[in-house]
Amino acid sequence: MNVKEYIASGIIESYVMGLLTETERKEFEAVCVQYPEVAMARSSFEQVLEDQLLADAKQPPAHLKQQVFERVTTTGADSYTENIEEERTPVRSMGAWKWIAAASIILMAASIYWAFDINKKNKELQSKNNELETRLKQSNDRLAASQSGTGSNSPRSDFKMATITEGTNASVSIYWDTLSKDVYLIINNMPKTPSDKQYQLWALLPEEGAAPLDLGMIQLKQERLLYRMKNVQNAKAFAITVEPRGGSKSPTTTPMVSSIPVSL
Amino acid sequence: MSTKNTYEESELVAALRQKDSGAFTYLYDHYSGALYSVIRQIVPDAELVNDVLQESFVNIWRRMDSYDETKGRLFTWMLNIARNAAIDKTRSKAFQQGQKQVPLDGELIQPGVRPGIDDIGLKKLIYKLKEEQRQLIDLSYFQGYTHEQIAQALHIPLGTVKTRIRSALTQLRALLS
Repeated sequence: MNVKEYIASGIIESYVMGLLTETERKEFEAVCVQYPEVAMARSSFEQVLEDQLLADAKQPPAHLKQQVFERVTTTGADSYTENIEEERTPVRSMGAWKWIAAASIILMAASIYWAFDINKKNKELQSKNNELETRLKQSNDRLAASQSGTGSNSPRSDFKMATITEGTNASVSIYWDTLSKDVYLIINNMPKTPSDKQYQLWALLPEEGAAPLDLGMIQLKQERLLYRMKNVQNAKAFAITVEPRGGSKSPTTTPMVSSIPVSL
Repeated sequence: MSTKNTYEESELVAALRQKDSGAFTYLYDHYSGALYSVIRQIVPDAELVNDVLQESFVNIWRRMDSYDETKGRLFTWMLNIARNAAIDKTRSKAFQQGQKQVPLDGELIQPGVRPGIDDIGLKKLIYKLKEEQRQLIDLSYFQGYTHEQIAQALHIPLGTVKTRIRSALTQLRALLS
């Protein structure tokens, strides 16, 4: 797949603005998982759209706020749960044939689950593989671009990649768009922190003696592949430390620093 | 209940999932104006606009657990909830009884530009597009017609509708940034 063409095709805007069919939406989401550049382009369009719409905000009538709050606090979550329960078919006493039907449904569900599980494992392996392929391709693209001396025509983004690894069990990739200054992070593998600790990302600044700049906390969560961190104007490398939950003003533990300094 | 003045998006999402009303206050204060503007561009009746905004925020509060940050930003998710609610409202029976129903049958009515509503935001931007592109975005985004319905009404092949809408959206994006 040509990622650049895909990004420029209008599919990102269609997705964000809710104009894709269910199938197209699922496909797009799968592509985002495989190609981080697509997810980043999506995120940057979302930001542009959000900024525009916030700039055009018109204040709604003041009484609405109170009405909304009354509805969420009084009839809030409870009535909603009830509604969901109502939609489920209640279990009533059933004749023998119904038990047989029920048993076959359970059997079917079990086999679907089994098939799904195998499929899921297969997909996981595939997506790891794709991710590695993508990264290889991105590195090659960047290499090609730097060798030819020109990038694409009027680029909107120019990603630098840095990797932070420690031993075999910690690996994080950081993508920094040196044009928009956006910073994205992908966790390949990170050990869990104790519940009162969190990982925090820092930028090491090029200026001599400058303190590391906080780029935000990393919420370790499964299946969350791409994090958007705080922007940074200039950085010579990135680092991660373990900090008390909520973060620190400056690093308090020995940082894991990106192996290859980012070069502009 | 503490009301913070600023939130990182991830903090805000976490607090909303915990049903933190301070976070919801922040969410409402910060985003209701933007959603209100968009809803007004879709729903012509001012009273109904208020209903839709209310319903949207109640849904945002209740459905917070279904928000998935890997699929997009919080605002995008909220915007789609509000847009869907607005389009549903214009389709609902109550609305159609009170308003002249406008079937999409080739007779495309071009409503006038309402000051403060259609001359701001995305509506304003789409007027900078070619007429054909403007019409496609208006029908699909603001009126919520499916690509199939548009293809039928305009007698254009479905594939062409899709291509034209995507190209119109990339133009729109260029106007945004």
